[in-house]
Amino acid sequence: MDLSIVLQFFISGVNLGCIYAALGLGFFVVYSVTRVLNLAQGEFVMVGGMLTATFYSMGVPIILSALIAIAVAGLLGGILHCGVIHPARNLSKATQTFLTVGFAFAIEGIALLVWGWEYKSLPNFLSTPNIHFGGATIIGQTPWVTGITLLAVTGLFLFFGHTLQGKALRACADNPLGAKTIGISVDRMSLYVFILAGAFGGIAGAVITPLTMVSYNIGFPMTIKGLLAAFVGGITRAEGVILGGMVLGMAEAIAAGLMPSEYHSIFAMIILMAVFLCQPHGLLSSSGKT
Amino acid sequence: MKRITVLLLVFVLALSGMISCAPSSAEESYKIGALTPQTGKYAGLGLQTLEGMQVIADDINEKGGINGIPLEVVPCDDKSSTTGVTLGAKKLIEVDKVAVILHGTVTALAQSTMPVAEEGKTPAILLSGTALFDDQLGEWCFRPMGSEEDYADIVFQYLNQDLGITRVAAMMENSGYGQGFEFFMMDVTSQHNMELVTTQHFDPAATDLTLQITDIKNSSAEALVIWGSGPAGALAVKQARDMGVTLPIIAAFAQGSSDMVKAFGEYYEINPSLIVTSSKTDIWQNLPEDDPDKAMCRDLANLFLEKTDPPHEPGFYGVVGAQMMLFVADALKRAQPDPTDLAQLRSEIRSALESTENLDLFTAVYTLSPEDHYGGSIQKIVLVTFKDGEKVLVRS
Repeated sequence: MDLSIVLQFFISGVNLGCIYAALGLGFFVVYSVTRVLNLAQGEFVMVGGMLTATFYSMGVPIILSALIAIAVAGLLGGILHCGVIHPARNLSKATQTFLTVGFAFAIEGIALLVWGWEYKSLPNFLSTPNIHFGGATIIGQTPWVTGITLLAVTGLFLFFGHTLQGKALRACADNPLGAKTIGISVDRMSLYVFILAGAFGGIAGAVITPLTMVSYNIGFPMTIKGLLAAFVGGITRAEGVILGGMVLGMAEAIAAGLMPSEYHSIFAMIILMAVFLCQPHGLLSSSGKT
Repeated sequence: MKRITVLLLVFVLALSGMISCAPSSAEESYKIGALTPQTGKYAGLGLQTLEGMQVIADDINEKGGINGIPLEVVPCDDKSSTTGVTLGAKKLIEVDKVAVILHGTVTALAQSTMPVAEEGKTPAILLSGTALFDDQLGEWCFRPMGSEEDYADIVFQYLNQDLGITRVAAMMENSGYGQGFEFFMMDVTSQHNMELVTTQHFDPAATDLTLQITDIKNSSAEALVIWGSGPAGALAVKQARDMGVTLPIIAAFAQGSSDMVKAFGEYYEINPSLIVTSSKTDIWQNLPEDDPDKAMCRDLANLFLEKTDPPHEPGFYGVVGAQMMLFVADALKRAQPDPTDLAQLRSEIRSALESTENLDLFTAVYTLSPEDHYGGSIQKIVLVTFKDGEKVLVRS
C-alpha cells in the first residue's frame, strides 16, 4: 500500500477518533453520576456549532464566538436538568432517559425555527494552515480537534481526581446514599454534570464545524456516534470513552479507505458485535461501576 | 336555565347547518397533496420544494384558478423516512382525498410512494434524479425531473471537448443518486473515449473524505467528478482543495445550492474554480438576451420575490417544486375534470399527464406517453462556475 495512503489513514482515524471521543465524553460525565443516558447530547453539539457560526458571521472573533457558544450549550445542559430531569427525579432512570429524547426533539424544532434548514460552516480556527507531508495532508482544523479533545480529557481527569467538587461527583457516582449522608447534595451534583455535558457538547460542536459543517438536524447522528464511542470503550470510564472513540474512528477510516462502500455499515456492525460479545460492558469497563 | 338550553340548541343547530351547508373542499377545489420532508435530514430539500409548489399554486389561484376552480395545496411531512412516506401518502389518498400527489424528496424515499400510489389509484409526480427505476413507475407514477444520462453527457462532453481531458477520477455518493450517475457514467465515458482511472465512494453523511482524495491525488486523473445530493459532496470539494488537489472539479446541482456556496464559496473559487450542473433559473441574469428561456426564468424569479417572505429567488429545489405544480396545472387545464368525482378526477389527471406534449418548463421540454413517464425530450441543463460570489455560465 502507498505510504501516503497509510499516513492519511492514520491521520483520518485519529481525527475521527478525537471527534467521537469528544462526543462520548458528554455521555460519560452524565451517566457516571446520574445513571441517565442523556440522548440530547448531540443537540448540545449542534447548538455549539450553530452558535459559533452565527456569532462569527456577526463579526465576533472565532475563539470568542466558540466560548460564548460553549457557555450557552452548558446553560442548555442546566435547563435540561432543571426543566426535565429534576422534576422527574423520582421516576425510573429509563423514563428520565426517554425524557431527554423529548428534550432533543424540542431543541431540534427550535433550531429549525431559529436558523432554518441551511448548513453553516466556519473557517479553521485562527486560519491555521493545512500541513502537507509524505503525500498526506493534515487539514488545519485537525490539530485543534485533537488538541482540544486532549485538553478536555486532561481537565476532566484533574477535575475528578484533584478537586473537591470532582471528588464529590465521584462520591455521588459510587454511592449516592453515602454521599447524601455526608452532606453532598446529589441533586446539585447532577445539575453540575448536565452543565458540564452541555459544555462538552458545545466544545465538540465548535471545533468540528470547520471540518464537517453544521445544520439544525445533526444532533441525532452525533448522539449515535457519541453513544457508540461510549459503549464500545465503556461508558463508566473516561479513558474507555477515549479508546472507544479511537476504535470507531480507525474502523471508519479503514472502511472508507480500504473497503467498498457497500460494506461500510457491515464492517462497523462487525466491530460493534465483536466488542459487545467479548466485552459486554465495553473495552475498558469496570462492570458497570465508575 | 331554559334560556341557556334554547341558546345551546340554536348554537348546535346553527353549527350543524354550517357544517351541512359547507360543501366539502373536494367540491370547490382541486386538492394537491404536497408530500415533502419538512423535518429530518432532507428537510432542507423538502421545504424548498414545498415553497415552490405553494408559490405556483398561489399565483394560479390569484389568476382565478384552473378553469375557475382553485388549487388547494395539502402539505404532508414525510419526515425524511420511508415509513413517513408510506403513512403520509396513504393519509393524502385516503383521508385528505387529494387528486394527485407531488412527492418532492430524494430517490430512496420517492420509491416508497410508488406502491401506495398504484394501490390507491392516485397519480403521483416524484422528484428523483435517477432513471434507474423508470421501468418501475407503473401506471400512476411519473418522474419528469431529470436523468443522469443527460447530466453525465453534458459533464463528460465538456471535459472532453472543451478541456481535452481523457482521464477522469470520480467520487460517487453512496445513494440512489450517486449509483444512478455511476451506472450511466460508464457508458458516457466510453462514448467519449475517456478513461475512468479511479472511482471512489462516500457516504451521504461522511465528514472525512481525505482517504478517497489521497487515492485520487495518487492517480493519473486529469479531472475530478463529484456526484452527491447532500453536503458531503461539498465537503469533498473543500477537502480536495485543502489537500492541494488542483484538478478541474465538476460537481452536481446540490453542491451549487445557496447554503453550500455560502459555506464554501472561497473554496469553490480556487483556480480552477468549481463547475456545477445547474438549471437556467440559477443564472438567468447572466443568460444572453436571445436565450429562449430567459423570460421564463425571470418571471419565476420575480414571482418568488413577490410571494416569499423574506423575498428571495428560488433555489434549485424551489424550481423543481414549481415545475411539479406546473405539470399538474397543465394536465388539469387540458382535462378540465370534475372535482366532485374523486376516482374519475384521479383517472383523468393520470391520462392528461400521460398525454403531456411539448410542455416547456425550466429544466427540460417534456413529452410524456403511456410508455414514457419521464419524457424529458429537450434538456436545459447548463454548467456554471463561480466568480466573485456569483454564478457564471460556462456551457449550455
